[in-house]
Amino acid sequence: MKHLLLFVGLLVTWISSSAQAQSDTPTPRRWYVPQHAVLQTAGGIGLVAGGAGYTLGSKRRWDVDALVGYVPGKYTGGRAFSIFTLKGTYAPFCLPVQTRWQVQPLTLGLLTNYTPSAMLNRSRDDKYPYKNYYWWSSTVRLGVFLGGRVGRELPVSQDGRARMVSAYYELGTNDLYAVSLLPNTKGLSLGQILTLGLGVKVDF
Amino acid sequence: MLLPFRSYLRLGLTLASAALLISSCELLEFSPNDVRAPDAQRDLTRQNLERLAQQPNPTGGDTLRFAFTADSQRYYDELDPLVSSLNQQRNLALVIVGGDISDFGLGREMRWVNGKLKQLRVPYFTVIGNHDHVGNGRAAYQEIFGPLNYSFTYAGTRFILTDTNGREYGFNGQVPNVPWLQQQLADTVGVRRQVAICHVPPFDGDFDPSLTTSYARALAAAPRLVFNLSGHIDKFGVSQPYNDNVTYISGYSVEQRQYLLLTLWGDKEYKLESIAY
Repeated sequence: MKHLLLFVGLLVTWISSSAQAQSDTPTPRRWYVPQHAVLQTAGGIGLVAGGAGYTLGSKRRWDVDALVGYVPGKYTGGRAFSIFTLKGTYAPFCLPVQTRWQVQPLTLGLLTNYTPSAMLNRSRDDKYPYKNYYWWSSTVRLGVFLGGRVGRELPVSQDGRARMVSAYYELGTNDLYAVSLLPNTKGLSLGQILTLGLGVKVDF
Repeated sequence: MLLPFRSYLRLGLTLASAALLISSCELLEFSPNDVRAPDAQRDLTRQNLERLAQQPNPTGGDTLRFAFTADSQRYYDELDPLVSSLNQQRNLALVIVGGDISDFGLGREMRWVNGKLKQLRVPYFTVIGNHDHVGNGRAAYQEIFGPLNYSFTYAGTRFILTDTNGREYGFNGQVPNVPWLQQQLADTVGVRRQVAICHVPPFDGDFDPSLTTSYARALAAAPRLVFNLSGHIDKFGVSQPYNDNVTYISGYSVEQRQYLLLTLWGDKEYKLESIAY
C-alpha cells in the first residue's frame, strides 16, 4: 500500500506540475516531457499500474509507455509486487466518430516487464548446478496483445495542444503461457492462456 | 486542467474498484506470479481430503489400491488420456501426483492441471516438486493445493508427503524436514501401513546431501513402511539403495504415458503394475 500511495503521489505531482508548465509557459514542450499519462488494471502488469509515455511516428500510430504496477500482498501470498513494464502499441487505424470521438478498432502491442520481488525464487540463482537448469527467467516476462481504444477529445490546452482522454483494452498473453500452449494443441486452448488489461490514457 | 485531472482520477478510482469487484475473473490477471484463484480451485488438498473421508474403500476390505503419477509439467495433451485410463481402474481409491505439477511455478499452470485432474472419479493428492518452487510457485502451491508437508490415513494406510526439494532452498539443511517426517512415522495409532512420498528421491543430486542419511534412517526406522515413492528423475525403477530393506520406487512422468498402479494388502505386501495409456 505504501508503494501505491507513493506512486499515486508522484503521479499527481507530476501531472499538476506539467499542467502548471503549460499555462505559465506556452513555449513548445521539451522533447523529454511525456505526452500522455496512463493507468491500467490487470493484463499481467499489476492490480493497478500507472505511467507515462510518448506517441511517435509521423502519423502518430505508435505509443510507447513505461508503467509501474502494484500487486498487493493479499494476491501474492506474501509481500506486494512492484512490476516495471515497457510497452509499445501500434494502432494501424484511427476512425473519427462524430466530432469529438475517435476509435482505434485494433491495436497491436508488445511488452516486457520486470518483477524484482524478493518473493520470487530466481530461476538463475547460484544454487542451481549449471546454467539453464531452468531455461526461463522468473522475473522478466515478454507479452503480446491486441486490443482497441476509444477516445474523446478534450478542449485544447492554452498553448494549442490537442488533448484527449481514452479508454482501452488489451487481450494478450505472455511467453510462458504461449510455450505452454504451443506443444499442447489438445490439452489447452487459446482462451485458457489469455489475459485482459483495461486502462485509461490522457493525452495532454 | 483541473477538471480533466479530476475526471482522470475519478476514472482511475472507478477502474480500480471495478478491478476489485471483478477480481474473480480469471482473465483479469494482475501478474502471472499472483496466487489468486477462485474458491473452487483453492485449498485442493483439504477439499480432496474431505472427499476421501466420505468415500468407503472401494475394495471393501483390507486391500488398498492407488495410482502414482508425476511430473505433469507442461504435458497437458497427456492428461486427458491419463484421466480416462485412471477412471477405468477398478477399486481405485485415490491418485497421487509426485510433484512438478507446473513447469514454471505459475498458479495458472497448477489450475490448468487441476482442471484436468478434477475429472478423476477419485480424489487426488499432490506433493510439491522443484519446478513448483520456481518464481512465486511455493506461494501459489500453498494457495491452490495446500501445505508443503502433510499426511493422512486411509484404509489403515498412512500417506506421508514431504517436500524434499532441498536445492530450491539452497541446501539450507532444513528441507526435507526430517524431525517432522519422524513424527509422522512414529504416529502409528490406527495405522497398519505407511507410505512415504516425495518428489526428489534421496539418491538424487537435487536432494540436500546433508540430509540424505537422516532421511534414509528415518525411513529405515519406520515400523510399518511399505515403500518410498518419488518422481523427478522421469525413470521408473525399484531399488534398495541403502541396503536397509527400504524400497524406493521411482515413478513415471506424465510425458512417458505410463503410471504405477499399486495394490497394498496385509502389513507390507504389495503389487506393482505399470499401466500405459
